[in-house]
Formats: sequence, structure tokens, C-alpha cells
Amino acid sequence: MCGIIGCVGCGDGTLDTLMHGLSKLEYRGYDSAGVALVDDRSVSVVKKSGELDALREELAGTDVGGRVGIGHTRWSTHGPPTDGNAHPHRDCTGGVAVVHNGIIENYQSLRDELAESGHEFRSDTDTEVVPHLIEASLESGADPEAAFREAIARLEGSYAIACVVAGTDSVFVARNDSPLVLGIAEGATYLASDVPAFREFTDKVVYLEDGEYARLDTDGWRVSDVDGQTVEKSIETVSWDPEDTGKSGYDHFMLKEIHEQPRALRQCLQGRVDELRGTVTLEELGELSLERVHLVAAGTSYHAAIYGAQLLQAKGVPAQPFLSHEYATSPPPAEDAIVIGVSQSGETADTLAATREARRRGAETLALTNTVGSTMARECDHVSYIRSGPEIGVAATKTFAGQQTALNLLTEAATEGGADRDVIAAIRNVPGQVQEVLDNSTAEAVAEAYLDSDAYFFIGRSLNFPVALEGALKMKEISYKHAEGFAAGELKHGPLALVTSQTPVFATVVGDGELARKTVGNVKEVEARDAPVVAITDGQSDVARYADHVLEIPETHPRTAAILTNVQLQLVAYHTAAKLGRSIDKPRNLAKSVTVE
Amino acid sequence: MDITTGIVLAAGEGTRLRPLTFNRPKTMLPAAGRPILEHVLDVLVDCGIERLCLVVGYQHERVQEHFGPSYRDVPITYVHQKKQLGSGHALQQAAPETDGPVLVLNGDRVLDEGIVADVLEGFDGTPAMAVLDHPTPTKYGVVEVDDGTLSKLVEKPESDSFGQINAGVYAFGESVFDAIERTPRRSGELHLPDVIGTLMDDGEVRAVSTDGLWVDATYPWDLLYLTRELLANGRVQFPERSHNVWVADSARVHPDATLQGPVVVGPDAEIAASAVVGPDVAVGRNATIGGNVTLQNTLLDSDCRVGPGSTLVDCVAGQSVSIGPGTVVPGGPSDVRVGDRVFENQGLGAVLADRVSVGGGATFTPGTLVGADATIGTGAHVSGWIRDGAEVVR
Repeated sequence: MCGIIGCVGCGDGTLDTLMHGLSKLEYRGYDSAGVALVDDRSVSVVKKSGELDALREELAGTDVGGRVGIGHTRWSTHGPPTDGNAHPHRDCTGGVAVVHNGIIENYQSLRDELAESGHEFRSDTDTEVVPHLIEASLESGADPEAAFREAIARLEGSYAIACVVAGTDSVFVARNDSPLVLGIAEGATYLASDVPAFREFTDKVVYLEDGEYARLDTDGWRVSDVDGQTVEKSIETVSWDPEDTGKSGYDHFMLKEIHEQPRALRQCLQGRVDELRGTVTLEELGELSLERVHLVAAGTSYHAAIYGAQLLQAKGVPAQPFLSHEYATSPPPAEDAIVIGVSQSGETADTLAATREARRRGAETLALTNTVGSTMARECDHVSYIRSGPEIGVAATKTFAGQQTALNLLTEAATEGGADRDVIAAIRNVPGQVQEVLDNSTAEAVAEAYLDSDAYFFIGRSLNFPVALEGALKMKEISYKHAEGFAAGELKHGPLALVTSQTPVFATVVGDGELARKTVGNVKEVEARDAPVVAITDGQSDVARYADHVLEIPETHPRTAAILTNVQLQLVAYHTAAKLGRSIDKPRNLAKSVTVE
Repeated sequence: MDITTGIVLAAGEGTRLRPLTFNRPKTMLPAAGRPILEHVLDVLVDCGIERLCLVVGYQHERVQEHFGPSYRDVPITYVHQKKQLGSGHALQQAAPETDGPVLVLNGDRVLDEGIVADVLEGFDGTPAMAVLDHPTPTKYGVVEVDDGTLSKLVEKPESDSFGQINAGVYAFGESVFDAIERTPRRSGELHLPDVIGTLMDDGEVRAVSTDGLWVDATYPWDLLYLTRELLANGRVQFPERSHNVWVADSARVHPDATLQGPVVVGPDAEIAASAVVGPDVAVGRNATIGGNVTLQNTLLDSDCRVGPGSTLVDCVAGQSVSIGPGTVVPGGPSDVRVGDRVFENQGLGAVLADRVSVGGGATFTPGTLVGADATIGTGAHVSGWIRDGAEVVR
């Protein structure tokens, strides 16, 4: 899981273009980075472990230049993040440089074979076999394109690969199970794992499919299939504003994205909800009716999937959430189900594996994603977009709220019995209520009060159970503190043993019905163990009497209350991490979209 | 000399607009369907400004969230004025972000492009500011001009004897930041007119005589006037459905509802059958207007809900105000009490700040001000000034 950039036709600006692209791709992985530039007869490579600034410093001491180049930010899968393991990788001659995203499954056997014939390896990576394979083909007389194709044909696994060869003003690329997109501009062609890398230079893009190759030259580009036949590709226009990736005065992208939630949810709702008629329409899904549903997802999206399954079950639709990596390897019977893949990027390898497995078994699939043109959007039978806009912070915030909202719309639009008017009104109130939470939240004071805690526990029932899981995940991801979320009822079945005066418990209590009363009961249990209690509540129950701190949300429908309680927990995690001085937008060991299994 | 950077002062709360500024600065209050500041930035972009610098302070997230990193493809940098110590101090905060001459103006006043264009044109390196004729100059800073040069600047004059006012639009070279350093503070605060005084002592300040639309809101009821002016000038971004009726594409208006221009209806708003909306009404984004509702000379901000059968006249409602069925704000001339002051004969029905919740069948005496998050019970009769978060039972 890494970021790839490449460009042809940028002249003296080639290195700047690559570095700009890498900075836009940092969210995909950032434990090392590197570039390779072709200058007449030679290929120069500069690479460095650490964040992109480390590479920038390294480059400052060189006069590297060239008219064609490729670059890479790496997130380790094989081998630790060292200078040597950073991409690009080269062959023995130094005339071939390769960047790669994905995993080459047969690399060990290829490496053994190449080593036997005298090739010397300098890194621990799977990628390094590729330049050596190309070198071998070049030695046997193949031209660079043929050599590239011969090498790719030997690979098993997932890859997006870009390659430059000394003496050739071209970039060769291939894709299998890992995203790659070309950017087309007047006189220049770009390639990248994701559009923001070159969006500042062009909004015309060509998405490569699995099994496709492309060659970028100074006079244009060509996409071909495995047999070398030209593939006619359509050029699409993307609408995202490149400036959207700026922080606009916030300290972190995460805080910016938390504050963008009212806008993101308005976009999600626009044109889809008619309150006066009492209808919800998802035009892209036509007459689709959900009768049996599996939701597959990982990470934050999995928490949204649990929430979505609860909404559908309440409408009488048998629906189950699954972790996508488990689903892909141990699939349940799914032939008559619609399998919904929930993924912000639409490139999550684990979730793609699950939807592919479902398709293989004859199930209908639906992608619920934020990313137009993503692999999942293109592969599934149906697609619905959450319309949250680009999310840069590694910790998902506005896209989780977007997923919750879109799942509400999906439930109202695609189940028997039509939409519930109370729910429609509540959904339309959500953007303004999220704004209210943002305006009035005292989460920063709560974060300050519990900064030194041993661990943080989050509890909730029903629709607030996935919120408890998500609240704990946010806290783990960005504060590096130990945090766990539990269904409130599960507390006394084990986790209560962990509760002490040093473990604040965040309890979401909504309404004043049976669920609220039971959760208040759990609150009393932890209070009896001297744990500080933070209640996230709409104030209808008496939980405030037992809480040390209260984070308020406005009174609303229980379904949308679970969107609001989560916003409070996002703010607690953010402020905790900020006060601890963590790298909030790029937490250690994590990457934005997990495009490897 | 070409100026490409525009500095917009948008840090102040605008306390005289309370209770509407409870959650956001004055610059983000609505004027004909969008924030005042958006009108200001439009003018700068239309005048060819290539770089915007917004000085933000009070509730700055609202400004940053709304505009993000650019407006109409013009990049924005944000500068934080942590304590609001005057307009000169605000400008001083922008010093590290500027390079070359700058245009400076307030973000809380809607004005004609011509005013900014005149100042840009009249700038040759000598500090320049716009001056214009105004019918009630005592509210503003009054100027004396001698052959195109500023000879006197009087803040808050006693009498109306002067004719021209400081329009609050300035062009400065980089030397202004040096002048700011040398300008003495008054009780800790540093105001731009004092900086102008320093520049006058240093040499010349050009007074660029100009005219055109120049409107602002000092008190909450002025927002109604501001919206009327903007509608009368057609300063609306949505498509004009019929004469003086502007409706955003994503709004849903029932065919049996009546829109009497000038009216603007924002995105995602819904208007039910038999509602009569207008004239001089702005319905904000995602607002919901029930059946048989009557709205006249009224401003509803985003996410407001007006229950069936309600009548609102001369009314200003902030964000997410919820009004139950059959509520009546009859409007008409009134005496409005703000603190110790009474403003006589203002055309104000009621001001309802953000997230006020009104039960059904409530009635409002003209001139009522209701603070943010207040709750008005069903059937209550309300008058005077209701504080933030209060609950009115009857």
C-alpha cells in the first residue's frame, strides 16, 4: 500500500511534478519515499526512509534531473522501512528503475531463480525482482517494452507497477488488483495511484483496468491488453478541486474534516430526500429492493456496516455485517443476498476480495463508496456514493458520518413499506444538528481531564454499539492510547475486570426508554469501580447524575442521534491526540486506504 | 501599481448584532441567501484580486469551513487574530502573509465592485482610501478632503456637518506595516483610522471619491434592509425562475405555493402547498416551509422549519430555528430595547437567534428579540428580550 506517481513531458519541471504528486499521495503511506529520473543515457535514483521531508533534504544536496520520471511513497509490507527498501528499485546495471504497489506472491521463487543466474539483490523487498527480470529480458535482446511485458507476465499477485529504462523517454506501467490512473494534459501525461497526485495539472483521466498495460511517451500514451492489442479507453473528467486538499487554516486535516461534516452530509442528501412528499430516492439504484443483505467492510467502514445492518433489520430485512477479510476467506452462503461493500476509497483490498468472492458465488453486489471511478464502484453491479468529498486525514471522520447517512437513505429508499416520515425529517435535520454539536462541544475539556488515563472504554447499546466501537478506534488510531469499545450489555461479561479509577468510560445514552435505562445501569456498575464516566447524551435520561462529564447532543430520532454521538467522540479523540502531540493526520503504522490484503 | 492581494478583516464578532452572533461572526450572517462575506469576496474576485487573505478570529472555524482553501479558484490564506484588538491590529497579523501592496477592507459590508475598482485604479504607491457621500454620516468615520488628499478624519463625529465618509476600503504599500508599528494604541487597541492618521503625518493619503452600493448591518433588524437592498440589486447567485424570484436548483417548491418576488429560495429548501412567500423574503438552505405559511419581509437562515399555518412578518431567524404550527409574528413598527437603549419605530417583528424552538400557536409582540437556544412554549405570548437558552412557558 503505497503511492505511485509518474510523468512524461514535464521537461525541467519533472522532479517538481513528482515531488508535488508524492506530497498529495502521502496519505497512502509514508515510511519512505523515492524518485527515479531518466536523463539521456542514465537513470538517477534518490530515495530515503522517513517522511517526504527526508527525501526533500536528500534531494537538496544533489543535482538530479531528467525529462521522464517516476516516484513512490512506501508503506512497508516486505522488509522494514529503510533507505535500501525504499522504492524505486533498480537492476544490476542501474539502467532500469521500478516502483510498485501491491504484493508479488511468487517473489521468493523468482528471486531464487534470478540470484542463481547471477543477479545481485540489494533489498528485502518483493519489488526488486521486477527490475532484474526486465534486465534479463533486455540482455536477451528484447526492446524495453517487450522486456517490461515479459517481466510482468512472470508475476503472480497484486501490483501497480511503473518502470523507466535508461535511453528511453517512456514510462511503462501495468496494473493488476491495485489502482492506477493516467492523467492526460496538453503535452504531458501523468500516472498515479490516485487522482489528487496530478489533479493540479489536469482533470482528464483514464482509469486502467486489471490486466492492462500502458506506455507513456513524449508524444502521447497508449493502453494495451495482455496480448499487446490497443485498448480504446474513454477519457473521463474528474470534478474535485485540487485546493480541496489544503488545510484551510486548520491545524490538521482531521479537524478540518470534522468541521466539514455538515457540508458533507448536505451533499449526501442533496436531491435524494423529499420531506413534503415523504420519499427518499437513490436514482443510481433504480428500483433495487433489498431483501437479504450482507454488508462487508473493514475498519471504520465495518462500524458503519454494523449500523447499516441494524437499520435494515429494523425494517425486517435480514442483514448481517461481516469483516471483509474474514468474509473473503470464510464466506457464508450468499447466493440470494445482495452483498454491499462499504469502503471510503473503493480500493480497500480486503473488501474488494469480499465483493469479488460474493460475485464469484453468484451474489449481486453493491458498492457504497466515496470514490467515483474506484475499482469497487466499477466492479460491483450497483453503486451508491456517499458524496463526502476527498478525505485526507488517515482517521476517517466525515466519511463515517457520510456512510451512516447514506445507509439511512439506502434503508428508506430500497426496502418494502416506503420511507418513514419521522426519519426523513430527522435526516434533514442532521447537518444543522452536527453543526450544533460542533458549536457547543466541550470535548476539549474532557480530553484534557483524562489525558493521563491508562485506557479508555466506550460503551453503547443498539445503534450506539457501533459508535462505541468507532469511538475507541478513533482514540487508538490517533492518540496511540489503549481504547476498547463494547456493547454496554457485554461489560459485565468480562471487560468490567479492566475498569479502574484510571480508565474513563464513555457511555452513549440516548432517549429515556429501556435502552437508556439499561445503559445507565451499566454506568452505575462502572461508577461503583471508581471509573470516571463521560456521558454522551441528549439529556432525556438521568445519566448526568452519575457522570463526571457530559457531552450533549440535541434531542432527535435515535437513528440520527448515533451520528451526533459519534461526532462528540471524534472530537474527544482529536483533542486527546492533539494534546499528546501525536501525528494526527498520519498516525504511525497506518495508511489511508489499505490497498493490500 | 498593480495590487493582487486582498486582505479582508473578518475577525470581529459584531456584538451589536447579538444574539445572532452567538455561534458565528457578523461576516457569516446571511444576506440574500448567503453570508455577507461571500458578497465581499465576490467583489474582490471580480476586481481581479488573485490572492485572498482572511483575518479571522471570533468563531473562525465557521469562516474556514465555509470558504475552505479557495474561493472561485482564488487561493485563500487564513490569518488568526487571537484577541480582537482593533482593525489595525487585525491588519498587522497579516503582515507575514503579504508581499507587495495590498487592498484592505472589512468583511462585514456589502459594496459595489466600482468602489474597489476605483481604489485599485487610484493607487500609485501612495496610501489611498475610498470616500463616499452618505445620508447619515454620523454612524461612520467622517472625512475632509482637499483636492483628492485626505485632510481630516473624524471617528464618530458629533454632528452631521460633514458630507463624506470613510468607506473602509484601503490600498496600502508595504510601508503600512511600519506605520502600524509606530501608531500608539488606545486602551490596548489599535484601529485602522489611527494608522491612517500616522500615514497622514508621514505624508499624503489619497482620498478616492467613489459611489455605488455600500450597505451594512449594525443591528439585527438591519439584516432585513440588507437583504432587501441585495434583492433589489439582483445580487443573488441562484437561477431567476421568474421576475425577481430566484430559486436554487435543488430546492423543492410545491406548484401550489406562491412566490411573490423579490424572493430567494436556497438549496434543498422545501416549500409546501399554499404557502405564500414574499415579497422581500430569503429562505435559507435546507429550510422547510409548511403548508399555508405566510412569509413577508423575512429572513430565514439555513435549516429553519416553519410549521403549517404560521405567519411571519418582518422576522429574522438564525440557523435551525424551529417554529411550530400556527405561530404568528405580526410585525410592524416597534420600539426595540437592546440593553439600556431603545430604538424607536423599527420595522421589526421578531429576531429569533440560532436554534430557537417555538411551540405551536405562539405569538410575538413586534420588536421581540429571542436569544440562541431559547425555548418558547406552545401558545406562549412573547415580548421584549429573551436571554440565550431561556425557557418561556407562557
